[in-house]
Amino acid sequence: MNLPTREQAGVLIVSVSGRIDHIASEEFAQALEPLLTRCAKGQAALLLDFSAVDYISSAGLRVLMMASRRAKAQQGIFAIAALQPLVQEVFAISRFNLIVPCYASVDAACKVVGA
Amino acid sequence: MLLTVIRAGRGRAFPLLLLLLAAGLLTQPETQPLLGIREAQFDHYQRVLPRQRESEPVVIVGIDSQSLVQLGQWPWSRDLIAALVDKIQAGRPLALGIDVVFAERDRYSPEVLARHIPGMTADTLAALPDPDRKLAAALEGTPAVLALVGLSKPLPGGRQPAKPLPVFDQDASRDRFLPHFVSALASRPVIAAAAAGEGLINATPELGQADNQRGVLRRVPTLAFVNELPFLSLPLEMVRVALGEAGSVQTEDGAHGMQAIRIGDYRLPVQRNGELLLHFGASSSHYYLSAADVLAGMHDPALFRSRFVIIGFNSTGLQDRIVTPLGESLPGVDIHAQVIESVLAGHALQRPYWMQWAEMATLLGVGLALIAFIPRLRARYAVLGFALAATAILAGGYLAFFSARYLFDGASLLLLLCPPFISLLGNTLIAADSLRHSAEAQLQQSREEAAHMNGELDAARRIQMGLLPDTARLFPDERRFSVAALLEPARAVGGDYYDCFMLDERRLCVAIGDVSGKGVPASLFMAISKTLTATLTRRHAELGSAFRDIEAELNRENPEYLFVTAFIGILDVESGHLDYVCAGHDAPLIVRNGRLLSVDTRAIAGPPLCAAGSYPFESAGMQLQAGDLLCLFTDGVTEAMHGQEMFGVVRLRAAIVAFGATPVHDCASSLRDAVRRFEAGHPPADDLTLLFLRWHGAAGGQD
Repeated sequence: MNLPTREQAGVLIVSVSGRIDHIASEEFAQALEPLLTRCAKGQAALLLDFSAVDYISSAGLRVLMMASRRAKAQQGIFAIAALQPLVQEVFAISRFNLIVPCYASVDAACKVVGA
Repeated sequence: MLLTVIRAGRGRAFPLLLLLLAAGLLTQPETQPLLGIREAQFDHYQRVLPRQRESEPVVIVGIDSQSLVQLGQWPWSRDLIAALVDKIQAGRPLALGIDVVFAERDRYSPEVLARHIPGMTADTLAALPDPDRKLAAALEGTPAVLALVGLSKPLPGGRQPAKPLPVFDQDASRDRFLPHFVSALASRPVIAAAAAGEGLINATPELGQADNQRGVLRRVPTLAFVNELPFLSLPLEMVRVALGEAGSVQTEDGAHGMQAIRIGDYRLPVQRNGELLLHFGASSSHYYLSAADVLAGMHDPALFRSRFVIIGFNSTGLQDRIVTPLGESLPGVDIHAQVIESVLAGHALQRPYWMQWAEMATLLGVGLALIAFIPRLRARYAVLGFALAATAILAGGYLAFFSARYLFDGASLLLLLCPPFISLLGNTLIAADSLRHSAEAQLQQSREEAAHMNGELDAARRIQMGLLPDTARLFPDERRFSVAALLEPARAVGGDYYDCFMLDERRLCVAIGDVSGKGVPASLFMAISKTLTATLTRRHAELGSAFRDIEAELNRENPEYLFVTAFIGILDVESGHLDYVCAGHDAPLIVRNGRLLSVDTRAIAGPPLCAAGSYPFESAGMQLQAGDLLCLFTDGVTEAMHGQEMFGVVRLRAAIVAFGATPVHDCASSLRDAVRRFEAGHPPADDLTLLFLRWHGAAGGQD
């Protein structure tokens, strides 16, 4: 999975796209791995731009959970922004908004998690 | 061994060798099969585009079958020829060619007759007309050209012709490519002296053999030497004679021999040996007249005015026929007509000395490009590439012919390029084959791995399925509620579960869960979750604290960081009160009197168990009405896929609301069927789990 990155207000923004189903979630986890290594105390906050994510399965949620745990252990900042309605619904049902901070838009997220 | 040779140098060495051999063969253009292919190719150019014959500057007076019938057998007496010449000359033609050699005395000359008829007196003899002199008299002062045949060996009857080119300055060192004859069959000096010129009617001397084998005439000489004296061919000599004073003959020479011949202002491109590559036009009998008709005065002499006239044979009996590249059989005299037309139009096929270098450059260029690129291409593109190159070469040949009458031999190049290409393609196919073999081996390996994995999955599935209660046999005599559940595991992912059991006489516990992850770890986690749920809901009076306890227990050993969404409900089957907790699971749906509600989990739902560490789960409660149908499901239902579309909540709600009073077992199987129909054969990606519960009320009822 391709994860293009950009920086805004000291935040490392990662554009995620497509369907994160059971098959794609493994690639997603692998692609996220090097970015998570850098998500630690004193480093830039890691923000996933989910505006192009059409669907996420429970396996995808698990990747996010692991990422969140990892960031927490490294005292880094990890968040998600711009969820599509369908993904928003999955997050609402599974209450994942309690596990990973979710923001309405990238700009809104940058205001909060930016340096 | 053979393979080693073919594949040497990444499969390029052998094709390179073949290409060099091909190049060597191309330097020998007169060898078969190249010569045959080349001539067929060049003939085809002419067949596609024969020379247009717009004007008819030549009239042929043919000694044809009709003439022989009327005037007797050939050879005719020369006074008859003289009469024919007079008839034609009356029309004042530009030139008169006679495609006949008058080498011996006429049969009716007085000397010959005297030998045949003894006793003739000298007076009688002197009074007899001499046909040879008569012909000479007829020819005198006319633009007549007689035929002569160059001989490469001295033959009896050979003589030096009388009328070489009057003015011709040619560098002697340049004529080494031109034909030289030691002798000739020529007309008797008495006749020749009266004519304006003599012209050669030889077919091509050097290549004549090869051409005669196929019987096709493609080239005619324009200039040759008989004992170092220059003679033009008959048609060219006619043009020269017609031009009179302006008809000086010059050659254009280069380091590679003759390039063109000039007669006055007319210029004709020729080969280095002076041969003309004749571009044939379609044959026509339009300009043929019968000698008998001309003698009989049937034609107006004005017909011959300002035209070239040739007297020649046009009778199949006289065996002077040639075959043209157009595939037509023509009288030999027709060639002279076509040559005159070509001279007047300055029109000839061109194959300059540099053409063979152009062909060599094309061969090596395309060949090296093939060798460079074919090994990098897949077989199908290799074939396509060669086909394109072949088409370009052939098309280039036709284009060169159509645009400027250049003879470029694309067909031979194609033939010579085939062996290197076949070798290259063979190598590509060998490489592709070995690649396929290794791909097959890899596939086999991954299949084995998949089978291995499947074994693990089978084990996981058995663990999963073995733990699930069979709702059909669970509560055989129960009338206060009915419950039905099913779980269909997906191929790759397993981790759903459901449960239903009585906590005590009046409390029914139903649970549904979905473990993230797959394989044995997920199945084991599911087993632990289910067991803990059963144990801890019994131990705790309050559902919220039971849930918190379950999460704490699950968290103790969770090396894979799995988590599980779950919904647990406890129904008081007497009162219809439902207590429930929810951890990141879809809210169950309720059908009440044909209307659809959902269990309100918004206030109390937490994240999936083990997803957030320890979440302070709380329970909530609601009152069911008798006849309410409760539907618990996992995302295997809502997220069943067909293409890019999901089954979704809307379809689920529509399916459930239609159930009404349908028995719960039928509800479960009917909804499952609806999902599978939607998937239309696509293998499901996730477990599908359903649990239907209908509360009939304290008094009980029938499902």
